[in-house]
Amino acid sequence: MSNPQELLDWIDGELGCHLDEAGDDWIRKARAEVAGGVDDGRFAQLLALASRQARRRAADISSEGRSRAAELLAGWDPVAWSVLDLLRVSLVLSRDDLAEESGPRAILEAFRFGDVGELCALARALQFLPQPEAYLWQARECCRSNMNEVFEAMACDNAFPAKHFDEVAWRALVVKAVFISAPLDRVLGLDNRLSEDLARMALDLADERRSAGREVQPLLWMCLGRHGGQRALDSLEREVAGDSVAGRRAAALALSRAGEGQRLAALAAGESDPQAAAALLAAQDEAPTQAAFRAVLDCPLP
Amino acid sequence: MKYFDPHIHLTSRTTDDLEAMAAAGIRAVIEPAFWIGQPRTRIGSYIDYFSSLIGWERFRASQFGIAHYCTIGLNSKEANNEALAEEVLNLVPRFALKEGVVAIGEIGFDEITAAEEHAYRVQLEFAVQNDMLVMVHSPHRDKKRGIQLSIEIAREMGLGMEKLIIDHNNEETVDDTLRSGAWAAFTIYPHTKMDSARMVEVVKKYGPERIIVDSSADWGISNPLSVPETAALMESSGVDAETIRRVTWQNALDAYAQSGQIDVAALEAEAQIDQTRTFLDNSVLRGQQPERSVKS
Repeated sequence: MSNPQELLDWIDGELGCHLDEAGDDWIRKARAEVAGGVDDGRFAQLLALASRQARRRAADISSEGRSRAAELLAGWDPVAWSVLDLLRVSLVLSRDDLAEESGPRAILEAFRFGDVGELCALARALQFLPQPEAYLWQARECCRSNMNEVFEAMACDNAFPAKHFDEVAWRALVVKAVFISAPLDRVLGLDNRLSEDLARMALDLADERRSAGREVQPLLWMCLGRHGGQRALDSLEREVAGDSVAGRRAAALALSRAGEGQRLAALAAGESDPQAAAALLAAQDEAPTQAAFRAVLDCPLP
Repeated sequence: MKYFDPHIHLTSRTTDDLEAMAAAGIRAVIEPAFWIGQPRTRIGSYIDYFSSLIGWERFRASQFGIAHYCTIGLNSKEANNEALAEEVLNLVPRFALKEGVVAIGEIGFDEITAAEEHAYRVQLEFAVQNDMLVMVHSPHRDKKRGIQLSIEIAREMGLGMEKLIIDHNNEETVDDTLRSGAWAAFTIYPHTKMDSARMVEVVKKYGPERIIVDSSADWGISNPLSVPETAALMESSGVDAETIRRVTWQNALDAYAQSGQIDVAALEAEAQIDQTRTFLDNSVLRGQQPERSVKS
Protein backbone atom coordinates (compact mmCIF):
# COMPACT_ATOMS: atom_id res chain seq x y z
CA MET A 1 0.00 0.00 0.00
CA SER A 2 1.00 3.62 -0.41
CA ASN A 3 2.20 5.47 2.67
CA PRO A 4 -0.95 7.12 4.06
CA GLN A 5 0.95 9.95 5.73
CA GLU A 6 2.67 10.95 2.48
CA LEU A 7 -0.66 10.88 0.68
CA LEU A 8 -2.29 12.94 3.42
CA ASP A 9 0.52 15.49 3.17
CA TRP A 10 -0.02 15.66 -0.57
CA ILE A 11 -3.76 16.15 -0.09
CA ASP A 12 -3.15 18.91 2.47
CA GLY A 13 -0.90 20.69 0.00
CA GLU A 14 -3.61 20.58 -2.68
CA LEU A 15 -6.49 21.41 -0.33
CA GLY A 16 -4.88 24.59 0.96
CA CYS A 17 -6.33 27.05 -1.51
CA HIS A 18 -9.80 25.47 -1.64
CA LEU A 19 -10.93 25.64 2.00
CA ASP A 20 -11.84 28.60 4.17
CA GLU A 21 -10.92 28.64 7.83
CA ALA A 22 -14.08 26.86 8.91
CA GLY A 23 -13.59 24.15 6.29
CA ASP A 24 -10.01 23.70 7.30
CA ASP A 25 -11.02 23.41 10.92
CA TRP A 26 -13.75 20.90 10.07
CA ILE A 27 -11.56 18.50 8.09
CA ARG A 28 -8.85 18.56 10.76
CA LYS A 29 -11.34 17.63 13.46
CA ALA A 30 -13.06 15.08 11.27
CA ARG A 31 -9.77 13.36 10.47
CA ALA A 32 -8.80 13.29 14.11
CA GLU A 33 -12.20 11.79 14.94
CA VAL A 34 -11.75 9.08 12.27
CA ALA A 35 -8.20 8.36 13.42
CA GLY A 36 -9.48 7.90 16.97
CA GLY A 37 -11.98 5.28 15.81
CA VAL A 38 -15.61 5.85 14.78
CA ASP A 39 -18.47 3.47 14.16
CA ASP A 40 -19.45 2.69 10.55
CA GLY A 41 -22.46 4.97 10.59
CA ARG A 42 -20.48 7.94 11.84
CA PHE A 43 -17.76 7.31 9.25
CA ALA A 44 -20.33 7.32 6.42
CA GLN A 45 -21.88 10.44 7.92
CA LEU A 46 -18.54 12.27 7.90
CA LEU A 47 -18.09 11.35 4.22
CA ALA A 48 -21.50 12.91 3.56
CA LEU A 49 -20.80 15.95 5.74
CA ALA A 50 -17.78 16.82 3.61
CA SER A 51 -20.30 18.10 1.05
CA ARG A 52 -21.23 20.85 3.53
CA GLN A 53 -17.65 22.12 3.47
CA ALA A 54 -16.79 22.13 -0.24
CA ARG A 55 -18.44 21.74 -3.60
CA ARG A 56 -17.78 18.94 -6.05
CA ARG A 57 -15.67 21.21 -8.25
CA ALA A 58 -12.42 20.38 -10.02
CA ALA A 59 -9.49 20.50 -7.62
CA ASP A 60 -7.32 21.85 -10.46
CA ILE A 61 -4.26 19.93 -9.35
CA SER A 62 -1.09 21.78 -10.36
CA SER A 63 1.48 20.14 -12.64
CA GLU A 64 3.86 19.84 -9.67
CA GLY A 65 1.06 18.22 -7.72
CA ARG A 66 0.51 15.72 -10.51
CA SER A 67 4.21 14.91 -10.73
CA ARG A 68 4.38 14.36 -7.00
CA ALA A 69 1.28 12.14 -7.24
CA ALA A 70 2.99 9.97 -9.84
CA GLU A 71 5.93 9.55 -7.45
CA LEU A 72 3.64 8.47 -4.64
CA LEU A 73 1.85 5.85 -6.77
CA ALA A 74 3.15 4.90 -10.18
CA GLY A 75 0.74 5.91 -12.90
CA TRP A 76 -1.80 7.59 -10.64
CA ASP A 77 -3.01 10.88 -12.08
CA PRO A 78 -5.40 13.01 -10.01
CA VAL A 79 -6.24 15.21 -13.01
CA ALA A 80 -9.99 14.60 -12.64
CA TRP A 81 -10.19 14.82 -8.85
CA SER A 82 -12.63 17.21 -7.20
CA VAL A 83 -12.14 19.12 -3.97
CA LEU A 84 -14.63 16.75 -2.37
CA ASP A 85 -12.55 13.80 -3.52
CA LEU A 86 -9.56 15.29 -1.69
CA LEU A 87 -11.58 15.68 1.52
CA ARG A 88 -13.15 12.24 1.35
CA VAL A 89 -10.04 10.32 0.38
CA SER A 90 -8.26 12.01 3.29
CA LEU A 91 -10.99 10.74 5.62
CA VAL A 92 -10.52 7.20 4.30
CA LEU A 93 -6.76 7.41 4.69
CA SER A 94 -7.13 8.68 8.25
CA ARG A 95 -8.50 5.33 9.41
CA ASP A 96 -5.96 3.41 11.44
CA ASP A 97 -7.59 0.02 10.76
CA LEU A 98 -7.21 -0.20 6.97
CA ALA A 99 -5.12 -3.34 7.32
CA GLU A 100 -7.61 -4.95 9.69
CA GLU A 101 -11.05 -6.46 9.14
CA SER A 102 -12.97 -3.43 10.32
CA GLY A 103 -11.47 -1.03 7.73
CA PRO A 104 -12.85 -2.69 4.60
CA ARG A 105 -16.14 -3.37 6.37
CA ALA A 106 -16.69 0.33 7.05
CA ILE A 107 -15.60 1.34 3.57
CA LEU A 108 -17.87 -1.20 1.86
CA GLU A 109 -20.71 0.00 4.04
CA ALA A 110 -19.97 3.54 2.87
CA PHE A 111 -20.16 2.34 -0.74
CA ARG A 112 -23.55 0.81 -0.05
CA PHE A 113 -25.02 4.09 1.08
CA GLY A 114 -22.91 6.29 -1.18
CA ASP A 115 -24.26 9.04 -3.42
CA VAL A 116 -22.59 9.73 -6.77
CA GLY A 117 -19.87 11.97 -5.33
CA GLU A 118 -19.11 9.58 -2.48
CA LEU A 119 -18.92 6.63 -4.87
CA CYS A 120 -16.43 8.52 -7.04
CA ALA A 121 -14.23 9.44 -4.07
CA LEU A 122 -14.32 5.91 -2.65
CA ALA A 123 -13.49 4.45 -6.08
CA ARG A 124 -10.51 6.77 -6.26
CA ALA A 125 -9.40 5.82 -2.74
CA LEU A 126 -9.22 2.07 -3.45
CA GLN A 127 -5.90 2.25 -5.29
CA PHE A 128 -4.12 3.35 -2.09
CA LEU A 129 -5.52 0.76 0.29
CA PRO A 130 -4.16 -2.50 1.64
CA GLN A 131 -6.25 -5.68 1.27
CA PRO A 132 -7.27 -4.92 -2.34
CA GLU A 133 -9.04 -8.29 -2.59
CA ALA A 134 -11.61 -7.06 -0.09
CA TYR A 135 -12.70 -4.37 -2.57
CA LEU A 136 -12.52 -6.31 -5.80
CA TRP A 137 -16.23 -7.00 -6.14
CA GLN A 138 -17.11 -3.41 -5.28
CA ALA A 139 -14.58 -2.09 -7.79
CA ARG A 140 -16.18 -4.19 -10.51
CA GLU A 141 -19.59 -3.01 -9.42
CA CYS A 142 -18.44 0.58 -9.98
CA CYS A 143 -17.54 -0.42 -13.53
CA ARG A 144 -21.03 -1.85 -13.99
CA SER A 145 -22.56 1.48 -12.99
CA ASN A 146 -24.74 3.33 -15.42
CA MET A 147 -23.47 6.60 -14.03
CA ASN A 148 -20.53 7.48 -16.22
CA GLU A 149 -18.88 9.55 -13.49
CA VAL A 150 -18.69 6.51 -11.25
CA PHE A 151 -17.42 4.33 -14.07
CA GLU A 152 -14.71 6.81 -14.97
CA ALA A 153 -13.62 7.33 -11.36
CA MET A 154 -12.89 3.59 -11.20
CA ALA A 155 -11.71 2.98 -14.75
CA CYS A 156 -9.66 6.09 -15.56
CA ASP A 157 -6.49 7.47 -13.93
CA ASN A 158 -6.86 4.73 -11.33
CA ALA A 159 -4.20 2.11 -10.69
CA PHE A 160 -6.58 -0.46 -9.16
CA PRO A 161 -8.14 -2.24 -12.16
CA ALA A 162 -5.01 -3.08 -14.13
CA LYS A 163 -3.40 -4.47 -10.97
CA HIS A 164 -6.28 -6.50 -9.62
CA PHE A 165 -8.97 -7.23 -12.22
CA ASP A 166 -9.10 -10.70 -13.76
CA GLU A 167 -9.26 -11.07 -17.54
CA VAL A 168 -13.05 -11.05 -17.79
CA ALA A 169 -13.41 -7.93 -15.65
CA TRP A 170 -10.56 -6.18 -17.39
CA ARG A 171 -11.92 -6.75 -20.88
CA ALA A 172 -15.39 -5.70 -19.77
CA LEU A 173 -13.95 -2.45 -18.43
CA VAL A 174 -11.96 -1.66 -21.57
CA VAL A 175 -14.70 -2.45 -24.05
CA LYS A 176 -17.25 -0.56 -21.96
CA ALA A 177 -14.94 2.47 -21.99
CA VAL A 178 -14.92 2.31 -25.80
CA PHE A 179 -18.65 1.71 -25.93
CA ILE A 180 -19.58 4.74 -23.81
CA SER A 181 -16.78 6.88 -25.26
CA ALA A 182 -14.96 7.23 -21.94
CA PRO A 183 -11.32 8.33 -22.31
CA LEU A 184 -9.63 4.98 -22.90
CA ASP A 185 -6.23 6.66 -23.12
CA ARG A 186 -6.63 7.35 -19.39
CA VAL A 187 -7.24 3.70 -18.45
CA LEU A 188 -3.98 2.99 -16.65
CA GLY A 189 -1.99 -0.02 -17.75
CA LEU A 190 -3.98 -0.70 -20.92
CA ASP A 191 -0.88 -1.21 -23.04
CA ASN A 192 0.38 -3.92 -20.68
CA ARG A 193 -2.87 -5.87 -20.72
CA LEU A 194 -3.77 -6.13 -24.39
CA SER A 195 -4.73 -9.62 -25.53
CA GLU A 196 -6.17 -11.68 -28.38
CA ASP A 197 -9.57 -11.84 -26.66
CA LEU A 198 -9.70 -8.09 -26.18
CA ALA A 199 -8.76 -7.53 -29.82
CA ARG A 200 -11.53 -9.89 -30.95
CA MET A 201 -14.11 -8.10 -28.82
CA ALA A 202 -12.98 -4.74 -30.19
CA LEU A 203 -13.10 -5.98 -33.77
CA ASP A 204 -16.59 -7.43 -33.22
CA LEU A 205 -17.68 -4.05 -31.90
CA ALA A 206 -16.18 -2.30 -34.93
CA ASP A 207 -18.12 -4.68 -37.22
CA GLU A 208 -21.33 -3.96 -35.33
CA ARG A 209 -20.85 -0.21 -35.63
CA ARG A 210 -20.23 -0.48 -39.35
CA SER A 211 -23.21 -2.77 -39.91
CA ALA A 212 -25.28 -0.16 -38.13
CA GLY A 213 -23.93 2.54 -40.43
CA ARG A 214 -22.22 4.30 -37.52
CA GLU A 215 -18.68 5.57 -37.07
CA VAL A 216 -16.29 3.37 -35.12
CA GLN A 217 -15.13 5.07 -31.91
CA PRO A 218 -11.56 6.22 -32.72
CA LEU A 219 -10.13 5.03 -29.40
CA LEU A 220 -11.35 1.50 -30.14
CA TRP A 221 -8.20 1.02 -32.22
CA MET A 222 -6.11 1.27 -29.06
CA CYS A 223 -7.39 -2.16 -28.05
CA LEU A 224 -5.51 -4.07 -30.74
CA GLY A 225 -1.77 -3.68 -30.14
CA ARG A 226 -0.13 -6.57 -31.99
CA HIS A 227 -3.22 -8.78 -31.71
CA GLY A 228 -6.06 -9.68 -34.03
CA GLY A 229 -4.01 -10.94 -36.97
CA GLN A 230 -5.13 -10.33 -40.53
CA ARG A 231 -8.65 -9.48 -39.41
CA ALA A 232 -7.24 -6.54 -37.43
CA LEU A 233 -5.14 -5.31 -40.34
CA ASP A 234 -8.10 -5.51 -42.72
CA SER A 235 -10.30 -3.59 -40.31
CA LEU A 236 -7.61 -0.93 -39.83
CA GLU A 237 -7.03 -0.55 -43.57
CA ARG A 238 -10.76 -0.01 -43.99
CA GLU A 239 -10.64 2.71 -41.35
CA VAL A 240 -7.66 4.59 -42.82
CA ALA A 241 -9.55 4.67 -46.11
CA GLY A 242 -12.70 5.98 -44.38
CA ASP A 243 -14.35 9.37 -43.91
CA SER A 244 -13.68 9.93 -40.22
CA VAL A 245 -10.57 12.06 -39.69
CA ALA A 246 -10.24 11.02 -36.04
CA GLY A 247 -10.76 7.41 -37.07
CA ARG A 248 -8.07 7.62 -39.77
CA ARG A 249 -5.54 9.09 -37.36
CA ALA A 250 -6.21 6.57 -34.62
CA ALA A 251 -6.16 3.66 -37.07
CA ALA A 252 -2.83 4.88 -38.44
CA LEU A 253 -1.32 4.76 -34.96
CA ALA A 254 -2.83 1.34 -34.44
CA LEU A 255 -1.20 0.13 -37.66
CA SER A 256 2.13 1.20 -36.23
CA ARG A 257 1.39 -0.70 -33.02
CA ALA A 258 0.54 -3.73 -35.16
CA GLY A 259 4.04 -3.61 -36.69
CA GLU A 260 3.00 -1.85 -39.89
CA GLY A 261 4.96 1.33 -39.16
CA GLN A 262 6.07 1.61 -42.78
CA ARG A 263 2.48 2.46 -43.77
CA LEU A 264 2.59 5.66 -41.74
CA ALA A 265 4.76 7.71 -44.09
CA ALA A 266 2.17 7.35 -46.84
CA LEU A 267 -0.68 8.09 -44.45
CA ALA A 268 1.11 11.14 -43.02
CA ALA A 269 1.58 12.47 -46.56
CA GLY A 270 -2.19 12.46 -47.00
CA GLU A 271 -2.83 14.18 -43.66
CA SER A 272 -3.85 17.82 -44.03
CA ASP A 273 -3.08 18.95 -40.49
CA PRO A 274 0.70 19.44 -39.97
CA GLN A 275 0.56 18.57 -36.26
CA ALA A 276 -1.28 15.34 -36.95
CA ALA A 277 1.08 14.50 -39.80
CA ALA A 278 4.07 15.04 -37.51
CA ALA A 279 2.54 12.79 -34.89
CA LEU A 280 2.00 10.05 -37.46
CA LEU A 281 5.59 10.35 -38.67
CA ALA A 282 6.86 10.20 -35.10
CA ALA A 283 4.95 6.96 -34.64
CA GLN A 284 6.72 5.28 -37.54
CA ASP A 285 9.71 4.02 -35.65
CA GLU A 286 8.43 3.52 -32.17
CA ALA A 287 5.07 1.94 -31.43
CA PRO A 288 2.87 4.76 -30.13
CA THR A 289 1.69 4.61 -26.52
CA GLN A 290 -1.76 5.34 -25.10
CA ALA A 291 -0.83 9.00 -24.68
CA ALA A 292 0.02 9.28 -28.39
CA PHE A 293 -3.60 8.54 -29.26
CA ARG A 294 -4.80 11.48 -27.22
CA ALA A 295 -2.21 13.74 -28.85
CA VAL A 296 -3.34 12.80 -32.34
CA LEU A 297 -7.02 13.13 -31.52
CA ASP A 298 -6.48 16.48 -29.83
CA CYS A 299 -5.03 17.94 -33.05
CA PRO A 300 -7.55 20.24 -34.68
CA LEU A 301 -9.84 18.23 -36.93
CA PRO A 302 -10.19 19.76 -40.41
CA MET B 1 -53.65 -1.50 -37.14
CA LYS B 2 -52.99 -3.36 -33.90
CA TYR B 3 -49.56 -3.80 -32.33
CA PHE B 4 -47.91 -6.00 -29.71
CA ASP B 5 -44.84 -4.57 -27.99
CA PRO B 6 -43.34 -7.67 -26.37
CA HIS B 7 -40.61 -5.83 -24.47
CA ILE B 8 -41.25 -2.57 -22.62
CA HIS B 9 -40.48 -1.52 -19.05
CA LEU B 10 -43.64 0.33 -18.15
CA THR B 11 -42.49 0.82 -14.56
CA SER B 12 -40.28 3.56 -15.99
CA ARG B 13 -42.97 5.18 -18.13
CA THR B 14 -45.75 7.65 -17.45
CA THR B 15 -49.48 7.55 -18.09
CA ASP B 16 -48.88 9.99 -20.97
CA ASP B 17 -46.90 7.19 -22.60
CA LEU B 18 -49.67 4.67 -21.96
CA GLU B 19 -52.20 7.02 -23.51
CA ALA B 20 -50.04 7.62 -26.56
CA MET B 21 -49.35 3.90 -26.92
CA ALA B 22 -53.04 3.04 -26.83
CA ALA B 23 -53.82 5.80 -29.32
CA ALA B 24 -51.11 4.45 -31.65
CA GLY B 25 -52.72 1.02 -31.64
CA ILE B 26 -50.64 -0.87 -29.08
CA ARG B 27 -53.00 -3.48 -27.71
CA ALA B 28 -50.66 -5.70 -25.70
CA VAL B 29 -47.29 -5.52 -24.02
CA ILE B 30 -44.86 -7.72 -22.16
CA GLU B 31 -42.90 -6.16 -19.30
CA PRO B 32 -39.80 -8.20 -18.57
CA ALA B 33 -38.24 -8.08 -15.11
CA PHE B 34 -34.97 -6.18 -15.47
CA TRP B 35 -32.27 -4.04 -13.91
CA ILE B 36 -33.78 -0.80 -12.66
CA GLY B 37 -30.79 1.42 -13.45
CA GLN B 38 -28.89 1.00 -10.24
CA PRO B 39 -28.19 -2.07 -8.17
CA ARG B 40 -30.71 -3.37 -5.65
CA THR B 41 -29.11 -4.26 -2.33
CA ARG B 42 -31.75 -6.34 -0.56
CA ILE B 43 -34.13 -9.18 -1.45
CA GLY B 44 -37.10 -7.08 -0.38
CA SER B 45 -36.54 -4.77 -3.33
CA TYR B 46 -37.06 -7.72 -5.68
CA ILE B 47 -40.15 -8.95 -3.88
CA ASP B 48 -41.77 -5.54 -4.25
CA TYR B 49 -40.60 -5.16 -7.84
CA PHE B 50 -41.90 -8.57 -8.97
CA SER B 51 -45.14 -7.86 -7.12
CA SER B 52 -45.58 -4.59 -8.98
CA LEU B 53 -45.13 -6.35 -12.34
CA ILE B 54 -48.02 -8.72 -11.66
CA GLY B 55 -50.03 -6.13 -9.77
CA TRP B 56 -50.02 -2.39 -10.11
CA GLU B 57 -48.32 -2.19 -13.51
CA ARG B 58 -50.76 -4.66 -15.03
CA PHE B 59 -53.65 -2.71 -13.61
CA ARG B 60 -52.24 0.61 -14.78
CA ALA B 61 -51.86 -0.63 -18.37
CA SER B 62 -55.36 -2.11 -18.32
CA GLN B 63 -56.75 1.33 -17.55
CA PHE B 64 -55.69 2.37 -21.04
CA GLY B 65 -56.93 -0.74 -22.77
CA ILE B 66 -53.50 -2.35 -22.97
CA ALA B 67 -53.17 -6.02 -22.03
CA HIS B 68 -50.09 -6.40 -19.83
CA TYR B 69 -48.08 -9.60 -19.46
CA CYS B 70 -44.71 -9.94 -17.82
CA THR B 71 -41.67 -12.13 -17.43
CA ILE B 72 -39.95 -12.92 -14.14
CA GLY B 73 -36.25 -13.50 -13.69
CA LEU B 74 -32.94 -12.38 -12.28
CA ASN B 75 -31.21 -10.14 -14.82
CA SER B 76 -27.64 -10.87 -15.79
CA LYS B 77 -26.10 -7.71 -14.39
CA GLU B 78 -27.34 -8.31 -10.87
CA ALA B 79 -26.40 -11.99 -11.07
CA ASN B 80 -22.91 -10.77 -10.18
CA ASN B 81 -23.96 -9.91 -6.64
CA GLU B 82 -23.70 -13.59 -5.81
CA ALA B 83 -25.09 -13.73 -2.28
CA LEU B 84 -28.12 -11.64 -3.19
CA ALA B 85 -28.46 -13.49 -6.51
CA GLU B 86 -28.89 -16.80 -4.64
CA GLU B 87 -31.77 -15.29 -2.70
CA VAL B 88 -33.36 -13.97 -5.89
CA LEU B 89 -32.97 -17.34 -7.62
CA ASN B 90 -34.92 -18.85 -4.73
CA LEU B 91 -37.55 -16.13 -5.10
CA VAL B 92 -38.11 -16.50 -8.85
CA PRO B 93 -40.18 -19.72 -8.52
CA ARG B 94 -42.55 -17.89 -6.16
CA PHE B 95 -43.51 -15.43 -8.90
CA ALA B 96 -42.77 -17.15 -12.19
CA LEU B 97 -45.88 -19.34 -12.27
CA LYS B 98 -48.37 -16.55 -11.57
CA GLU B 99 -51.16 -15.74 -13.99
CA GLY B 100 -49.97 -13.65 -16.91
CA VAL B 101 -46.27 -14.47 -16.53
CA VAL B 102 -45.38 -15.55 -20.05
CA ALA B 103 -41.68 -16.39 -19.69
CA ILE B 104 -38.60 -16.49 -17.55
CA GLY B 105 -36.71 -13.33 -18.42
CA GLU B 106 -34.96 -11.26 -19.19
CA ILE B 107 -31.98 -13.43 -18.38
CA GLY B 108 -28.68 -14.20 -20.08
CA PHE B 109 -25.33 -12.48 -20.12
CA ASP B 110 -23.92 -9.02 -19.42
CA GLU B 111 -20.15 -9.30 -18.94
CA ILE B 112 -20.19 -13.08 -19.52
CA THR B 113 -18.96 -14.00 -16.03
CA ALA B 114 -19.18 -17.34 -14.22
CA ALA B 115 -21.79 -15.90 -11.84
CA GLU B 116 -23.96 -14.86 -14.79
CA GLU B 117 -23.70 -18.30 -16.33
CA HIS B 118 -24.71 -19.91 -13.04
CA ALA B 119 -27.84 -17.74 -12.73
CA TYR B 120 -28.69 -18.37 -16.37
CA ARG B 121 -28.44 -22.14 -15.96
CA VAL B 122 -30.48 -22.25 -12.75
CA GLN B 123 -33.28 -20.27 -14.38
CA LEU B 124 -33.14 -22.30 -17.60
CA GLU B 125 -33.52 -25.43 -15.54
CA PHE B 126 -36.63 -24.00 -13.89
CA ALA B 127 -38.03 -23.03 -17.27
CA VAL B 128 -37.46 -26.49 -18.72
CA GLN B 129 -39.00 -28.20 -15.70
CA ASN B 130 -42.09 -26.01 -15.93
CA ASP B 131 -42.32 -25.95 -19.72
CA MET B 132 -41.84 -22.20 -19.84
CA LEU B 133 -40.51 -19.82 -22.46
CA VAL B 134 -37.26 -17.96 -21.95
CA MET B 135 -36.58 -14.36 -22.95
CA VAL B 136 -32.87 -13.75 -23.33
CA HIS B 137 -31.28 -10.33 -23.00
CA SER B 138 -28.16 -10.16 -25.14
CA PRO B 139 -25.22 -8.11 -23.87
CA HIS B 140 -24.35 -4.59 -25.02
CA ARG B 141 -20.72 -5.63 -25.47
CA ASP B 142 -19.39 -8.87 -26.87
CA LYS B 143 -22.93 -9.36 -28.11
CA LYS B 144 -22.16 -11.90 -30.79
CA ARG B 145 -20.38 -14.28 -28.46
CA GLY B 146 -22.96 -13.63 -25.74
CA ILE B 147 -25.76 -14.73 -28.06
CA GLN B 148 -23.90 -17.80 -29.29
CA LEU B 149 -23.25 -18.85 -25.71
CA SER B 150 -26.84 -18.19 -24.63
CA ILE B 151 -28.16 -20.41 -27.41
CA GLU B 152 -25.60 -23.13 -26.80
CA ILE B 153 -26.37 -23.36 -23.09
CA ALA B 154 -30.15 -23.24 -23.60
CA ARG B 155 -29.88 -26.12 -26.05
CA GLU B 156 -27.63 -28.08 -23.72
CA MET B 157 -30.14 -27.59 -20.88
CA GLY B 158 -32.89 -29.08 -23.05
CA LEU B 159 -34.92 -25.97 -23.89
CA GLY B 160 -36.79 -26.28 -27.19
CA MET B 161 -35.56 -23.60 -29.56
CA GLU B 162 -39.16 -22.59 -30.31
CA LYS B 163 -39.37 -21.61 -26.63
CA LEU B 164 -36.35 -19.30 -26.80
CA ILE B 165 -36.61 -15.60 -27.66
CA ILE B 166 -33.27 -13.84 -28.14
CA ASP B 167 -33.64 -10.09 -27.79
CA HIS B 168 -31.61 -7.04 -28.83
CA ASN B 169 -30.33 -8.62 -32.04
CA ASN B 170 -28.56 -6.64 -34.72
CA GLU B 171 -27.21 -7.24 -38.23
CA GLU B 172 -24.20 -9.09 -36.83
CA THR B 173 -26.19 -11.57 -34.73
CA VAL B 174 -29.42 -12.23 -36.62
CA ASP B 175 -27.97 -15.11 -38.66
CA ASP B 176 -26.84 -17.03 -35.59
CA THR B 177 -30.18 -16.51 -33.87
CA LEU B 178 -32.38 -17.50 -36.79
CA ARG B 179 -30.19 -20.48 -37.68
CA SER B 180 -30.63 -21.85 -34.14
CA GLY B 181 -34.41 -21.96 -34.53
CA ALA B 182 -35.01 -19.36 -31.82
CA TRP B 183 -37.11 -16.21 -32.24
CA ALA B 184 -35.09 -13.12 -33.12
CA ALA B 185 -36.34 -9.96 -31.42
CA PHE B 186 -35.01 -6.50 -32.27
CA THR B 187 -35.07 -3.51 -29.97
CA ILE B 188 -35.61 -0.20 -31.69
CA TYR B 189 -33.68 2.46 -29.84
CA PRO B 190 -33.32 5.95 -31.24
CA HIS B 191 -29.52 6.05 -30.96
CA THR B 192 -28.05 2.68 -30.10
CA LYS B 193 -29.29 -0.86 -30.50
CA MET B 194 -31.23 -0.63 -33.73
CA ASP B 195 -33.11 2.12 -35.49
CA SER B 196 -36.27 1.90 -37.56
CA ALA B 197 -34.53 2.38 -40.90
CA ARG B 198 -32.09 -0.45 -40.20
CA MET B 199 -35.00 -2.61 -39.04
CA VAL B 200 -36.72 -2.08 -42.37
CA GLU B 201 -33.60 -3.37 -44.12
CA VAL B 202 -33.42 -6.42 -41.85
CA VAL B 203 -37.04 -7.30 -42.59
CA LYS B 204 -36.50 -6.80 -46.31
CA LYS B 205 -33.50 -9.10 -46.20
CA TYR B 206 -34.79 -11.85 -43.87
CA GLY B 207 -38.55 -11.67 -44.30
CA PRO B 208 -41.02 -12.02 -41.41
CA GLU B 209 -40.18 -15.55 -40.24
CA ARG B 210 -39.56 -15.56 -36.42
CA ILE B 211 -38.67 -11.85 -36.41
CA ILE B 212 -40.13 -9.63 -33.69
CA VAL B 213 -39.90 -5.86 -33.25
CA ASP B 214 -40.01 -4.31 -29.77
CA SER B 215 -39.23 -1.00 -28.05
CA SER B 216 -37.54 -2.04 -24.77
CA ALA B 217 -38.48 1.47 -23.69
CA ASP B 218 -37.24 2.06 -20.16
CA TRP B 219 -35.62 4.76 -17.98
CA GLY B 220 -33.14 5.74 -20.70
CA ILE B 221 -33.63 7.60 -23.95
CA SER B 222 -36.07 5.30 -25.69
CA ASN B 223 -39.38 5.46 -27.47
CA PRO B 224 -42.55 3.66 -26.33
CA LEU B 225 -43.96 4.15 -29.84
CA SER B 226 -41.06 2.38 -31.57
CA VAL B 227 -43.21 -0.52 -32.75
CA PRO B 228 -45.97 1.49 -34.51
CA GLU B 229 -43.44 4.00 -35.84
CA THR B 230 -41.29 1.24 -37.31
CA ALA B 231 -44.41 -0.33 -38.82
CA ALA B 232 -45.23 3.01 -40.47
CA LEU B 233 -41.73 3.26 -41.90
CA MET B 234 -41.96 -0.30 -43.21
CA GLU B 235 -45.21 0.57 -44.92
CA SER B 236 -43.81 3.70 -46.57
CA SER B 237 -40.71 1.71 -47.58
CA GLY B 238 -42.83 -0.77 -49.49
CA VAL B 239 -42.85 -3.72 -47.07
CA ASP B 240 -46.08 -5.67 -47.58
CA ALA B 241 -48.85 -5.43 -45.01
CA GLU B 242 -48.79 -9.10 -44.05
CA THR B 243 -45.06 -8.96 -43.24
CA ILE B 244 -45.60 -5.87 -41.10
CA ARG B 245 -48.48 -7.54 -39.29
CA ARG B 246 -46.35 -10.55 -38.50
CA VAL B 247 -43.29 -8.73 -37.14
CA THR B 248 -45.29 -6.21 -35.09
CA TRP B 249 -48.15 -8.40 -33.88
CA GLN B 250 -48.55 -12.03 -34.89
CA ASN B 251 -45.04 -13.38 -34.26
CA ALA B 252 -44.92 -12.03 -30.71
CA LEU B 253 -48.38 -13.44 -30.14
CA ASP B 254 -47.45 -16.85 -31.57
CA ALA B 255 -44.23 -16.97 -29.56
CA TYR B 256 -45.64 -15.96 -26.19
CA ALA B 257 -49.05 -17.63 -26.56
CA GLN B 258 -47.11 -20.88 -26.18
CA SER B 259 -47.13 -20.00 -22.47
CA GLY B 260 -50.87 -20.57 -22.35
CA GLN B 261 -51.16 -17.27 -20.47
CA ILE B 262 -52.51 -15.12 -23.31
CA ASP B 263 -56.21 -15.01 -24.07
CA VAL B 264 -55.80 -14.68 -27.82
CA ALA B 265 -59.52 -14.26 -28.52
CA ALA B 266 -59.77 -11.39 -26.02
CA LEU B 267 -56.77 -9.71 -27.60
CA GLU B 268 -58.23 -9.99 -31.07
CA ALA B 269 -61.41 -8.29 -29.82
CA GLU B 270 -61.67 -4.58 -29.12
CA ALA B 271 -60.08 -3.33 -25.91
CA GLN B 272 -62.33 -3.01 -22.88
CA ILE B 273 -61.56 0.00 -20.75
CA ASP B 274 -63.03 0.55 -17.31
CA GLN B 275 -61.42 3.41 -15.45
CA THR B 276 -63.95 3.17 -12.65
CA ARG B 277 -61.96 0.22 -11.30
CA THR B 278 -59.27 0.67 -8.69
CA PHE B 279 -56.26 -1.32 -7.50
CA LEU B 280 -56.09 -1.62 -3.70
CA ASP B 281 -58.24 1.54 -3.71
CA ASN B 282 -55.80 3.36 -5.96
CA SER B 283 -56.88 4.75 -9.29
CA VAL B 284 -54.77 6.14 -12.13
CA LEU B 285 -57.21 9.02 -12.30
CA ARG B 286 -56.56 12.37 -10.66
CA GLY B 287 -60.02 13.87 -10.72
CA GLN B 288 -60.74 13.05 -14.37
CA GLN B 289 -64.00 11.58 -15.57
CA PRO B 290 -63.46 7.79 -15.81
CA GLU B 291 -63.64 6.32 -19.30
CA ARG B 292 -65.70 3.18 -19.62
CA SER B 293 -66.31 0.99 -22.65
CA VAL B 294 -67.16 -2.32 -20.99
CA LYS B 295 -70.36 -3.82 -22.28
CA SER B 296 -72.47 -4.74 -19.29
